[in-house]
Amino acid sequence: MKKLSVSLVAMLVLFSLLGSLVMADEHGDMAKVRVLHASPDAPAVDVYVNGDLTLEEVPFKTDSGYLEVPAGTHDVEVFAAGTEYAAGEGVLQADLEVEAGKAYTVAAANLLESIEFVVAEDSMEVTEGQAKIRVGHLSPDAPAVDVGIIGGDALFSGAEFPGITDYAEVAPDTYDLEIRLPDGTQVLPLEGTELAADTVYSVFAVNTVDSLEVIALVDYEAAASPDEMPTTGLGTPEQSQSMWLLVGGALFLVAASGLVWRKRFQ
Amino acid sequence: MCGENDFNKFALLLAAVFLAGCTSAPQDEVSIRSAEVGFSAKAEAARSEQPKEAGEAKAAEKEKPAAEPKSKQAGNPINELNQPGIAPETLSIPSIGVEADVTHLGVTDTGEMAVPDNGEELSWFSPGYRPGQRGRSVIAGHVDDLDGPAVFWDLTELEPGDEIFVSGDDRELRFKVHTMESVPLDLADVDSVFGYHSSPELVLITCSGTYDYDRGTREERLIVYASLVQE
Repeated sequence: MKKLSVSLVAMLVLFSLLGSLVMADEHGDMAKVRVLHASPDAPAVDVYVNGDLTLEEVPFKTDSGYLEVPAGTHDVEVFAAGTEYAAGEGVLQADLEVEAGKAYTVAAANLLESIEFVVAEDSMEVTEGQAKIRVGHLSPDAPAVDVGIIGGDALFSGAEFPGITDYAEVAPDTYDLEIRLPDGTQVLPLEGTELAADTVYSVFAVNTVDSLEVIALVDYEAAASPDEMPTTGLGTPEQSQSMWLLVGGALFLVAASGLVWRKRFQ
Repeated sequence: MCGENDFNKFALLLAAVFLAGCTSAPQDEVSIRSAEVGFSAKAEAARSEQPKEAGEAKAAEKEKPAAEPKSKQAGNPINELNQPGIAPETLSIPSIGVEADVTHLGVTDTGEMAVPDNGEELSWFSPGYRPGQRGRSVIAGHVDDLDGPAVFWDLTELEPGDEIFVSGDDRELRFKVHTMESVPLDLADVDSVFGYHSSPELVLITCSGTYDYDRGTREERLIVYASLVQE
């Protein structure tokens, strides 16, 4: 299957040999991109960015985690895993534009024959003490759904394939959630869902409707950072290593002077 | 007589050079040791591999529920994301013989990451990410103190793949070094060094570069990045 299909799917993004070099000096111009393989019948794929093999053998239901990429437009091409790279011959190709300081999810969605990219910008902030969540409908044959409290209100209504909702901010707590049809029929229970403070979640419904399942990802967790780096040296060059040289030099100077004086008065 | 005079001059000159040498760079070992450091083992191959491994693990664990009737996934996949990390108490780096207690500190009055007042202890930036939590957890230590080398004196000797162990809350986490860089203070991207990352990272910081007498600190910071080894 892998060898046969030139067809394939999937993912995207990033990087290249430059990646690690960039890390050292251009943090300010970087974006974050995460790739998700959500095409149920597509094989594992290799992802080339700007012609460089960036992700290898990414299987269905897998995400890459955030990769740092330079801001700008990147040529992303997807091949069946193991296929030899040839520019422009990928199963999927996109010019992905990313902005500095932003984060993105790039999902390869739909069945193989109709494979498509679904791109969303991810939130990198949350009100202190709150939780944030959104849902993505990436199940190609599933109807529009609501996500809400079992026996209670919907948090998200009418989510349709292929789409990713806006975020909803909620108090951190444990919720009995479910994915249900608008008429109330339960599609998938998510009881006892713990949403932690200062955390941003994305929950994607994937696979075909008869095998519907959920992929949950953390988009961001908030924590403080200082304004400045630490001062991590208590000494100065002289006082440690050079102290003895200083003393030695002074003694030598005294001795040499003495020699000079002695010679002079001889 | 002439020769003797020359000898005297030479002796004085020698002494003067000796004294002058005390403040010149070649005597500053911290500066020498950090002059040519830096590596990144997380090159292309490693990055490609990472999602692959993660993917295999995830695929394996989710295959069962997919095959079963949809009513019950093995666990709530949202709850499986819970990864709180630990409050670090000790840190050890066998490859360079470091074993130290870790104190919990925040920021100084001037907004710097606070550090211990001695050369033996390390400090964890406790308002930031916890070791083992998604994000970059930062632990700093001095390179030298008034008596000479301090706890992170040998940090420049680390190599890709070296292990760092962090313990606390009755757990021990293992990290592997992948990147080292010595960054001029003015160019350091503090938000990135202390920032979010989609997998747990440990960041070690100490001073490097030449001593800046005006600022009262060294000109650079040695920053070591390590990633959590999921057991």
